[in-house]
Amino acid sequence: MSTIHITLNGERKEIPAGSTVAELLVIADAGRQPVAVVVNEHIVRPDQRDSCILQDQDQVEILVFAGGG
Amino acid sequence: MGSLRLGTYTFSSRLILGTGKFSSTSAMIEAVRASGTQLVTVALRRFNREQAEDDLFGPLSEIEGLTLMPNTSGAATAKEAVKAAHISRELSGSPFIKVEIHPNPHHLMPDPIETWEACKILAAEGFIVMPYIPADPVLAKRLEEVGCSSVMPLGSAIGSGQGLSTAEMVKIIIRESSVPVIIDAGLRSPSEACAAMEMGCEAVLVNSAVAVARDPAAMALAFAKAVEAGFEARNAGLMPRSGSAVATSPLTSFLGAAS
Repeated sequence: MSTIHITLNGERKEIPAGSTVAELLVIADAGRQPVAVVVNEHIVRPDQRDSCILQDQDQVEILVFAGGG
Repeated sequence: MGSLRLGTYTFSSRLILGTGKFSSTSAMIEAVRASGTQLVTVALRRFNREQAEDDLFGPLSEIEGLTLMPNTSGAATAKEAVKAAHISRELSGSPFIKVEIHPNPHHLMPDPIETWEACKILAAEGFIVMPYIPADPVLAKRLEEVGCSSVMPLGSAIGSGQGLSTAEMVKIIIRESSVPVIIDAGLRSPSEACAAMEMGCEAVLVNSAVAVARDPAAMALAFAKAVEAGFEARNAGLMPRSGSAVATSPLTSFLGAAS
């Protein structure tokens, strides 16, 4: 199986080539709560995650809400 | 007590709570419930599977009538704040954004120039923009002019508990402002929140004072009561100050007259 390398939340990660954003959320165990996903500075909305295929060297951020004032 | 209007939203509670620094999510939720607040701040952070149970979105969304106001904490520039606002709106679905841009981690004072720039962009995009600002009447007016729905001057440095050290400047902002003025940051005690409301603030935003209290839920309730008392006192009309004593009982002496 061929793989690609992405940067996920600042850390280098190897994932199967052809993975979608939705599949990455499962791989990252981030599928159980609402998250925001940003790929190369672009927001990927929930309805786009099944069709958005990640590319080698993509910069991905998965974000949630934490406590803040 | 009358409603607080922010953009197209109205709130019966005039206490806004921050959700940071609590010992646990459950302690925070208890405080939010006890306070009766309808608007709480949250911050974006990177997802971490080890801390997945700390996600606040689920527990907060279960509280009826609660609106989220994400902040742009961590942004050092207008560009970063605008980016954080876009991501936050995507995640929260809320039009509220607390613009918070402080480049210096030691004093955490807001950058007025970057704040103004970010607010101008976000207000034009339709956000309900709530900027955290130094207590500067000129900046407050400029932010109102670019479409901010409120201005939120600091009472004193974030998390310092130094109270209303900016009171005289805040009074000028209140006098000049056509949008609600909300004290944000620095309050330590409910009496300070009450004083801010008596002074003419439309709401108060508190976080540390509640979060680090021995009993956060009880402190949250105390702040809610103080905010309400201050607002009602202001509407009732505070008596004028006098430089000398003014008797409340008759001073005519019947005791002397009887002898």
